[in-house]
Amino acid sequence: MALLEAIGIGKTYPGGVVANDGVNLVIQPGEVHAVVGENGAGKSTLMKILFGLEQPNAGTLLLDGKPVQFPGPRDAIDAGIGMVFQHFSLVPSFAVYENVVMGSEPKAGIRFDRRKAIGEVQALSEKFRLKVDPLPPVRSLPVGQQQRVEILKSLYRNARILILDEPTAVLAPQEVQELFIAIRSLVAQGKTVIFIAHKLPEVLEISDTITVMRQGKTVGQVKTSEVTEQSLAAMMVGREVSLRVDRKATDQSRRVAAVSGLRIVNARGTEVVAGLDLNVHSGEIVGLVGVEGNGQAETLEAIAGLRSIAAGDIRITERDAAGLSVLERRGLGLASIPEDRIAEGLATGASVGENLVATRLDDPRFVRNGLLDLKAIKANAVKLIEQFSIRVGGPASAVGTLSGGNMQKVVVARELAEQPKLLLVNQPTRGVDLGATQFIWRTITDARDAGAAVLLSSADLSELLALSDRLVVLYRGKIVAAFVNSPDLTPETLGTYMLGLSTQTAAEMQVALK
Amino acid sequence: MMDLFITVFSAAFFVTIIRTTTPLLLATMGGLVADLSGALNVALEGMMLVGCLTAVLVSVYAPWYVAVVSGMGAGATLGLLMAFFAYRMKADIILVGFAINILAAGGTVFALSMATGGDKGTSINLPSKAVPAVDLSFLSQIPVVGPTLTAFLSGHSVLSWIAAFVVFAVWYFLYRTPWGLWLRGVGEYPAAPEAAGIPVMKIRTWSLIVSGALAGMGGAQLAMFNYVGFTRDMTAGRGFIALGAVLLGARHPVGALCAALLFGAFEALAVVMPGLFSDAPAELIRSIPFVVTIAALVLFSIRAQRALALRGAK
Amino acid sequence: MSNVPAIDRASRWKAIRSEVGRAAGALLIALGVAFVVVLLTSKTPFEALNVLLTQIPQRPRTIGLWLDDAAKLTITGLAFSLVFQARQFSMGVQGQVYVGAIAATYVALSPLGATWAGIPLGMTAGMMAGAVWGFIPGIAKAKLGANEIVSSLMLNYIAIELCNYLVRAQLPKPAVGVLTTNDFPETAVLPQLIKFDGLNITRLDYGFVIALVAVFVVWFALYRTSWGLKLRLVGHNARFAEYSGIKATFIMVSAMTAAGALGGLLGSMFVQGQGWGKLTVLFEGNLAFEGILVAIVARSRPLAVPVVALFYGYLRQGAQLMNIRTDVPAEVIGVVTAIIILLVSSSFSINFIKRLFKRGDAPATGTVPAGSAAK
Repeated sequence: MALLEAIGIGKTYPGGVVANDGVNLVIQPGEVHAVVGENGAGKSTLMKILFGLEQPNAGTLLLDGKPVQFPGPRDAIDAGIGMVFQHFSLVPSFAVYENVVMGSEPKAGIRFDRRKAIGEVQALSEKFRLKVDPLPPVRSLPVGQQQRVEILKSLYRNARILILDEPTAVLAPQEVQELFIAIRSLVAQGKTVIFIAHKLPEVLEISDTITVMRQGKTVGQVKTSEVTEQSLAAMMVGREVSLRVDRKATDQSRRVAAVSGLRIVNARGTEVVAGLDLNVHSGEIVGLVGVEGNGQAETLEAIAGLRSIAAGDIRITERDAAGLSVLERRGLGLASIPEDRIAEGLATGASVGENLVATRLDDPRFVRNGLLDLKAIKANAVKLIEQFSIRVGGPASAVGTLSGGNMQKVVVARELAEQPKLLLVNQPTRGVDLGATQFIWRTITDARDAGAAVLLSSADLSELLALSDRLVVLYRGKIVAAFVNSPDLTPETLGTYMLGLSTQTAAEMQVALK
Repeated sequence: MMDLFITVFSAAFFVTIIRTTTPLLLATMGGLVADLSGALNVALEGMMLVGCLTAVLVSVYAPWYVAVVSGMGAGATLGLLMAFFAYRMKADIILVGFAINILAAGGTVFALSMATGGDKGTSINLPSKAVPAVDLSFLSQIPVVGPTLTAFLSGHSVLSWIAAFVVFAVWYFLYRTPWGLWLRGVGEYPAAPEAAGIPVMKIRTWSLIVSGALAGMGGAQLAMFNYVGFTRDMTAGRGFIALGAVLLGARHPVGALCAALLFGAFEALAVVMPGLFSDAPAELIRSIPFVVTIAALVLFSIRAQRALALRGAK
Repeated sequence: MSNVPAIDRASRWKAIRSEVGRAAGALLIALGVAFVVVLLTSKTPFEALNVLLTQIPQRPRTIGLWLDDAAKLTITGLAFSLVFQARQFSMGVQGQVYVGAIAATYVALSPLGATWAGIPLGMTAGMMAGAVWGFIPGIAKAKLGANEIVSSLMLNYIAIELCNYLVRAQLPKPAVGVLTTNDFPETAVLPQLIKFDGLNITRLDYGFVIALVAVFVVWFALYRTSWGLKLRLVGHNARFAEYSGIKATFIMVSAMTAAGALGGLLGSMFVQGQGWGKLTVLFEGNLAFEGILVAIVARSRPLAVPVVALFYGYLRQGAQLMNIRTDVPAEVIGVVTAIIILLVSSSFSINFIKRLFKRGDAPATGTVPAGSAAK
């Protein structure tokens, strides 16, 4: 009998996003079961439902053959399900053992029996090969060890099933191996592990069974021993109809952006971009392909001036960008459409008109002697609303009242209004309805046709294939493949490189790397 | 100068310091508990003030210990009110705190006026009681050190001894019991205790209630020992100095105790110095705790910044 | 899109209506609570309420007090509005009032004070002193990340003690032992606003005009200059502001400094006004903090601030009158003020209350103001 089963799970978020649609999952006791799929496939939602963080709109969950419901994480924990998130919930200044036992501390009267807690944590850590010193504060530990603390938390509460959400995303290669040793030992001692991932080599190494998800549905369940990397990649990425947007022939001779030897280190000290060389020319769209978290976002931020770099050279219109502020780079003709429009691209409490000029407050057309030219700002807003078909009450309406697609149009309108020379775009149509998507694609292509150099990052392969002239694949902060876009280029091919299964040689890349 | 030295190192001055520190210390402990649960309690001033008034008014009709407990109850009630608006009604906790201060300032004068039949300045016409002092003069029987011990230890308010115990109790609670761990976790990183099923909202609410009770006790001491009777706005910023002491004490009970003692010493100095140096202005001495708090804030911020920079470069 | 302006106006009107509804609701509840208190403690509750609510417009003198209060409340309301619009929580207006008053006093009591420059120089000195007092927490926050709430609160008390000291020991005083300075020369005091035969309203001085000017200046700065737009954008979304190339730290510091100037201006209005005409200890009576109420109810919008200040000033003076004529102390207004702040600063609305009592768990949404309402 299956240990845990999900039958026909459906979940639609308010706003209309269908995250899960008839999802089935069968977990046998004592196995390592991987759930794979691209971003947006619905894996995280499914796991949240299993852990009681979200409630399904349809379907049933069976535990030991009996139907169960988890109104909250506490219920899931009590039922023996533990979850280790990508973002840990650990109190930074508390010791390891304090974090592990918090909420279920061993007591002697009213006293917190620390010695007993330390002993128990030590025993657990040895039993499951999760070596970690119980005493130091958690913030002083490297990420791999912090993850072990998270796992120990679940084990301390006698979890039978451990859900690990993208556990290797934050680990260095040696740490990954240590994690695998721990997982094998967990299984050997009767635990069951659900492992969410999209790094295929690792999935193939550690799991017994794999369930593949795509676009909110389960594509299938296979035994690891019976599957190859290629077939897995095909299942994950799918055979989509490739739409391509019509574009004009353009003069691509002028190099507008040049990145060489780029190295970026993030706040935790991990190298997220490890030596990147890239050129973008006028009149072309270069697509940055890759699973999220492989350096695309950081690269775009570095070029925009929002992130400092550890090493390397960035040139915008042949001028060295080092030391130039965001505003100065915009003065050189840079525009950027950010990944998260609400957090970074808009001030939702301000009006549409104000948002549309926020990046151009040093432009004498709108600001003279420190005074705002309200008429010009309004006229600009009216013009852009018309031009970009933004559905809104008027230039004075607050941006927060717009739909996702129209909000994105405001961002796009603002960035494209000035005929930028270099356009950086990150996830332009995430959470945007189909109509607005088509419109935004057309707008970006029109900018390219007019001579802009566009650097596009997206998690949506069909978008990249539709828009790009050239595609560059990033894996672990390096370019591992480069292609000139053609009808023969399929998502599966890209998938192979995206998932780290192969790398092109320098010669192969040269063709597309201009 | 010699006069100053002699005064400062005398037993009488020590006794004065204990007296001035006690209300401040209690409020500081209240501020510490709230701060460690993640709430900057700017309403300590108001909580203390209602503690003063309630204790005074109740003591007219009941024994002193009932009055003290009612002072605590009044403070605790304000703490509950604060928790309701800040956590349930999602109002900004700073604004709620200031509203409570305004409520306390006006409400205490209003109630005072009602109780005294029109006197809005002081309760001097009311027969309010005092908290008794603890007489340890039997200590002078001890050979050699006896008299000195008596001079230093006898005559303190009951509440001063209780305050010392409170420091120990708060320390024990925070660092030796599970609930103290929960509270500190809630204040530092609420997602973690939440994931462990700990009732975060309940903990935050209780910490504000306790914070109010402690500030209320401080108010009772202020109006029943330091002074006997209520005067409008008698807390004179002590609630805010308490916040400073929490900060200066690095948000730890022992540190806060030392900081409160330091600030209490300055208050005692402000009383004594004009007598000794007629040109040393009492006002400037009274400002010292505020200046020191700002200095501490700056220093701690610099240290935090440097720590952050170091970690980024690792 | 020819009907664009109409839709804009309609949505903005709706926003104003919902905000006024909220404020009115809070006011009614607060007054209701106050009435219950009065009912329980006064021998003549209905007469007290009558005095509180209706007696102010009856006499020129009380009207003068009301308008004077409203002017002062407007200034402090504007100061808090500036700070709130930038999402900062500097609470230092009180301290700025005191240092502003001190600076103005020095000018007024100096030889310059006896000339025509007494008033303008005094006000300028006040504004500069207040600006410095507002700048300090700002720069500490910007450069060091130091909590501006604590630093501004500390500065309040330092300013008050400084004032106490200067009045007691340094500034020229009429007699030994009194805690005030000499009266300022007439040229350093704002003249009465309305003084003709038949209509002599004392206490109301040109500070009223200055308050109106200040409203216009702050409104203009916030909505017609690029600095103001940057400030509002930083307040809405500091990250987006950075991304747009706006220097968020500079804006925050300048917002607090500008608010400080307003606080200092209020200080000089106090001591150079008909109400005092000299510097005394504790002249301000905690009025600065009531600016919080004005700012929150006005949603930090400069044009709404004087309206709220008028309403609130009316209540305030009504309470004073009630205190004189009946047995209800004026301090009952503290209850009203506190309740209004508590209600308006939370997600209070009729819908919210209904939802609060239906389920145990309250969602954090109240009325979502459509249109360009700032928080």
